[in-house]
Amino acid sequence: MKSRRPQIDGDGGGPRLWSGLEELSNDAAFQAWVDAEYPTAAEFGPTARRQFLKLMGASFALAGLAGCEKSPFVAAFPYVDQPQSETVGLPRYYATALTFDGYAQPVIATTYSGRPTKLDGNPDHPVTKGRSDVFMQAAVLGLYDPDRAQGPTRHGEPTTWMDVTAAISTLRQDWAGDQGEGLRLLTGPTSSPTFQHQLDALRKQFPKMRVHLHEAAGEAARRTSTAAVYGQPLDMRYVLEQADVLVSFDDDFLGPGPNQVRNARSWASSRRRSSDRPGMHLHAAESVPSATGAVASSRLIADASRMARLAEALASKLGVGGATAGDLTPTEQSWVETIAKACGSARERALVTSGPLGDVGTAIWVARINETLNSAGRCLQFMQPITGPADAGTLKALVADMRVGKVHTLVIIGCNPAYTAPGGLGFAEALKQTRSTLHVGLQRDETGELCEWQLPLAHELESWSDARAVDGTASIIQPTIIPFYDVRSVHQIMAMLLGEIDPAADAAVRETWKSAFGDDFDGRWRQALHDGFVEGAAPAVSATVSSTAAPSARSAAGEGLDIVFRPDPTVWDGSFANIGWLQELPKPLTTLTWGNVIAVSPALAKRLDVVNGDHVELAIGDRNLVGPTWIMPGQAENTVAVFLGYGRSQAGRVGNQLGYDAYRIRPIDQPWLAKGSLRKTDGSETLAVTQLHHRMEGFDFVREVTAEHPTLPKADTPTSLYPPWPSSKNAWGMVIDLDLCIGCNACVAACTAENNVPVVGKEQVSVGREMHWLRIARYYTGDVETPRSFFQPVPCMHCEQAPCEMGCPVHATTHSPEGVNQMVYNRCIGTRTCSSFCPYKVRRFNFYDFRAPPDSPTHAAHNPDVTVRSRGVMEKCTYCTQRIEAAHATADKENRPLREGDVVTACQAACPTKAIVFGNINDPNSEVSRLRRDGRHYVLLEELGTRPRTTYLARWRDDDGGQG
Amino acid sequence: MSDRSADILPVRQSMGGISDQLTGIPLHFPVERRWLIAMLFASLLLLMLMVSVVVLFAEGVGIWGINIPVNWAFAIHNYVWWLGIGHAGTLISALLLLTQSEWRNSLNRFAETMTLFAVVCAGIYPVLHLGRPWYIYWMFPYPATMDVWPQFRSPLEWDIWAVLTYLTVSFAFWYTGLIPDLAAARDRATKRSWQIFFGITSLGWRGSAAHWQRWSQAYRLTAGLAVPLVVSVHSEVSLLFASGQIPGWHSTIFPPYFVLGAAFSGFAVVSIIAVSLRSWFGLYNLVTDDHLDLLGMVLLATGLMTAYGYVFEVFDALYSGDAHELQTLADRLTGAYAWTYWGAIIFNFIPLQALWWREVRRTGWALLLISIAVAIGMWLERYMILVTSLYRDFLVSSWSKFTPTFWDWSTYFGTIGLFLVPFLIAIRVIPLISIFETEELLHEEKEKTHG
Repeated sequence: MKSRRPQIDGDGGGPRLWSGLEELSNDAAFQAWVDAEYPTAAEFGPTARRQFLKLMGASFALAGLAGCEKSPFVAAFPYVDQPQSETVGLPRYYATALTFDGYAQPVIATTYSGRPTKLDGNPDHPVTKGRSDVFMQAAVLGLYDPDRAQGPTRHGEPTTWMDVTAAISTLRQDWAGDQGEGLRLLTGPTSSPTFQHQLDALRKQFPKMRVHLHEAAGEAARRTSTAAVYGQPLDMRYVLEQADVLVSFDDDFLGPGPNQVRNARSWASSRRRSSDRPGMHLHAAESVPSATGAVASSRLIADASRMARLAEALASKLGVGGATAGDLTPTEQSWVETIAKACGSARERALVTSGPLGDVGTAIWVARINETLNSAGRCLQFMQPITGPADAGTLKALVADMRVGKVHTLVIIGCNPAYTAPGGLGFAEALKQTRSTLHVGLQRDETGELCEWQLPLAHELESWSDARAVDGTASIIQPTIIPFYDVRSVHQIMAMLLGEIDPAADAAVRETWKSAFGDDFDGRWRQALHDGFVEGAAPAVSATVSSTAAPSARSAAGEGLDIVFRPDPTVWDGSFANIGWLQELPKPLTTLTWGNVIAVSPALAKRLDVVNGDHVELAIGDRNLVGPTWIMPGQAENTVAVFLGYGRSQAGRVGNQLGYDAYRIRPIDQPWLAKGSLRKTDGSETLAVTQLHHRMEGFDFVREVTAEHPTLPKADTPTSLYPPWPSSKNAWGMVIDLDLCIGCNACVAACTAENNVPVVGKEQVSVGREMHWLRIARYYTGDVETPRSFFQPVPCMHCEQAPCEMGCPVHATTHSPEGVNQMVYNRCIGTRTCSSFCPYKVRRFNFYDFRAPPDSPTHAAHNPDVTVRSRGVMEKCTYCTQRIEAAHATADKENRPLREGDVVTACQAACPTKAIVFGNINDPNSEVSRLRRDGRHYVLLEELGTRPRTTYLARWRDDDGGQG
Repeated sequence: MSDRSADILPVRQSMGGISDQLTGIPLHFPVERRWLIAMLFASLLLLMLMVSVVVLFAEGVGIWGINIPVNWAFAIHNYVWWLGIGHAGTLISALLLLTQSEWRNSLNRFAETMTLFAVVCAGIYPVLHLGRPWYIYWMFPYPATMDVWPQFRSPLEWDIWAVLTYLTVSFAFWYTGLIPDLAAARDRATKRSWQIFFGITSLGWRGSAAHWQRWSQAYRLTAGLAVPLVVSVHSEVSLLFASGQIPGWHSTIFPPYFVLGAAFSGFAVVSIIAVSLRSWFGLYNLVTDDHLDLLGMVLLATGLMTAYGYVFEVFDALYSGDAHELQTLADRLTGAYAWTYWGAIIFNFIPLQALWWREVRRTGWALLLISIAVAIGMWLERYMILVTSLYRDFLVSSWSKFTPTFWDWSTYFGTIGLFLVPFLIAIRVIPLISIFETEELLHEEKEKTHG
């Protein structure tokens, strides 16, 4: 997509255009516009005015004409000259990328009439192969966030880019004076080659300037760990396709993060390598329950500070020099022995990993084990760090310099340190002592509020940029919509810092890639924009454990509980706090929404005499905070988990005043693991949880098979009094493989984005009215201290003998000839009989009018192919009927039947492990038919005789010993 | 029974006296102050209902405490409660008419009036609980431009028919029975306004033999229509639940269980009204202790039959061995809403046992207290049926809880106002005991005594 061409070229047929600034300067309307837009310009004398107009020439051209109003949306306007390739009502797809912790996440944006409504993965991209995670799915709502900064502000007062440019030029003179000694840049993690080039250019202009990197979450911990172990900071890649045995020491590699999609995809493809037994075995030792532990074949519960001990024990069993095994409990002993045997027999097809947030001791032992097993190069690969900036200083150093007045100008780009810096650092106070502060960010957040200038950043979906994925593959980020606020991309702002007056949006990016693409620039540029990535991953480097790596004796020793910090599974480090979809998304394992908790083990809860929701006071050193308890089944006894991302005061109308702020007590030097204490205080609060009861109570909703009995016994479906529905050529069905579901909730986020599912807010969720069409049921069996966890996605079953269809008095829910249980919104009068009769309780009701207010920009995120439901109407999963119909329309136009893969539901498209398979069950060769014939196949609540079209594959139970 | 029925009305009273006594109530109202206080209280409740309904229509059913999965709660269980109460009126008036049980004659008028207003209270709920109540007319089979008819397999569709039919037939039956009495009041009225009012409403009744013959046919016909409706309407109401597969609902005992429970709760409310009116208006000669005795016996009988339903629900769950049924049974007995289950059992069946004793049955205030307990107990039973089955059904991941909100309660108490206000007005305006039927009975008794 090219940027809009300035309309001064006199394209025929359009509105009357001007051909010279002079012509305009006598135009009364233009004068008025100038006065309105640039009040200061009204005071210029006549020659100064001319000068001013010359300066503004370029931006006038880009902005359009006098008389054009700056309306927030140009989303709906009638085409006078319709572009050739645009058909109104049909979507266009653009390949671009988002960034997450600096890494590129490749997406395909579905756009209608020039605005994106849905993001899906890029099926050609080597890392994600079309899969996505919750952050990619929800990012589109961030574009339409009503609390985004809509124009530059100075001390909170609206100003203009003109004034910003003027201020920057004054500052540049200051910087030139001392070669940039007083200039500091503080940035979040980024992998953008263009940004790096611009930084280098800025350094060339001001050699003494310094760049600092601050990441609240991110790979800093991993880099510190690899630096200690291998002597250099490295990015690691698990090649799980090559592994048969995987051992994780507190490494939640299937959990949320930039690597989730890749890890989940490769773990799943490895797991389902063979059809009669699980393809690989994952063993996890963890302190805080996570997705990785939930799907592990065997799971050992151990405190975070105990991991080094366990890793050393395993190392000694595998013959690593210098390791001693001792001082283990019998459970730990037997687990380590089982693992050692498994690793021993798998040799180089075994991989042992340690969590990036754990201590260095564990990492060192794990690295030595991998070397002994020879998995480096096979299951484990290393790369030079992909995100940077390279050679950046730390936040701590910056604050120290700020305090002594060494920093004159601080430019903060893409991070929010006033909120995410550890409380003890005193960043906000130091910021007040800095002379000139510029904040470049999406909204006037906690940091923007304290800075003099807030420069609004264009959202990634409306910017030109570039980034690298976790394997180093570069993507060029292209805009999917013309910016509708007065914003600029980070490269434009960097260009302004470099002295340009009105930089074009794509100039810097083109510049970067001109040298990379060489001669055939146009062709390769277009190819890169079309594909969504540039071929070429980062090369693997070899690394060996440094001989100086010495596991410190009993790291994090000391009295007290292990306090582990975790980024929140749905709002991460807090940057997604204002995205309603993510606030309302149930966090995996707890199904909590709209807030964070202090997670404790059942034993600790009993000691403190607390139940869910009771307030506790957590103290680390001399800092403390109060938050609600959550009893986490399966958490290590003396470990307390604290989640980042909440307690914000300037997140916006959605994210403010939720939860507690964990950054306040976060230690400066060891930000992920500390020692602390916990005590009960007064008060409690209601937690908005979507699933109240988690124990499976002896029922067999999630079934399991073992290697000895790899097929399920044949079940009897009761006969029905009703005749079967006649089926048309296509009969839609869905199979969900429970062995592969990691509970990441990407499917839920995708469904919410695709189907205009409303966000209801914390109070309504706590009453039980969340609207997700698809839920991930989380169950556990066994006792609460050592549970086995299960995930089960539950969409509408589309029963062939549906109780809901019989119950509706007005034919608002009917059965399509293709087997889809349809929901006719405009016929529904809201008796809710269908929901009463539904045994699976998959239906959702609009108890209030949950639509956004009419003037909210979030309406632009709605999928125009899906009705937006009003008050009093029932809704539920429709097998993405709009996608089925679109596929039918395409197939009919091309005069052919529907093929396998023509219809992909939103949940199916998003799932990183491909656990959800959808297709035509009348076609015996389709994947869904094949899975329905699998020995693990079963029907949920089969004894009810509802004959659901959504069915499941049982999970493999492959624990042989251990606590699983 | 003929000996007893001959004695049911004290013979030593005159027919004219009965007419005077009963027409005197509307024409020269004796308990003005008490009535005004009651009317004020009832009007406030009615006002509360109107406010609740306005807020409901303005904001949506979200003002109630319902959620997913407990998407039916107060609105539906109050609906069933009111409808059940209504059925007893029909049983007394219509069924006992057809079986020629004379003791009904003192009770049938106010019982039938109670039915009418109870059905109205019930009937507003199917409209109120809808998400989009302005489209309720889509449940009627009219030739729509959309070319869509209602879905006739749905129990809610049957519900519309059932309630409307019941309301219509009950009204026709009630009015038919009123005509001779309205004529009696017309003949005795002295004020012009009453003469006009009763003149119009009595439809020109002259009391001739031809009138009586036609009237008798009409009366018996509507009675014959009304009686099967009791069974069919409340069976259909039970099918609202029993047609679904939800454990605790999906049982064939539901239709008879509901009908009997309806009779039980309805007779309790009839007893409350009988005792109250009797003491307010000094009608001891017309609603005698024998009447109370019989009411108590019927109450005890229907109560025991309802208890049978409880026992068999437990037996069915245990005998079936179905894990979900057993889960629901455990939830009912020991879960978060066990108070509704045990409350229902205690309020329904414990005070009821006192009715085995004749003295208790014949004592007005004892019967009143027991009947109030039964009314509460049956309300709790409906609550239990709705909420304990819905809050935890098959999949554990959908288990939730339910808490009624202020608007749930205000709507419910408001419907009590909706019942009381027209009822109190009816007491003012219509003879609340059937004059001609009690006179007919007295006449027969006198003949037997003399003859």
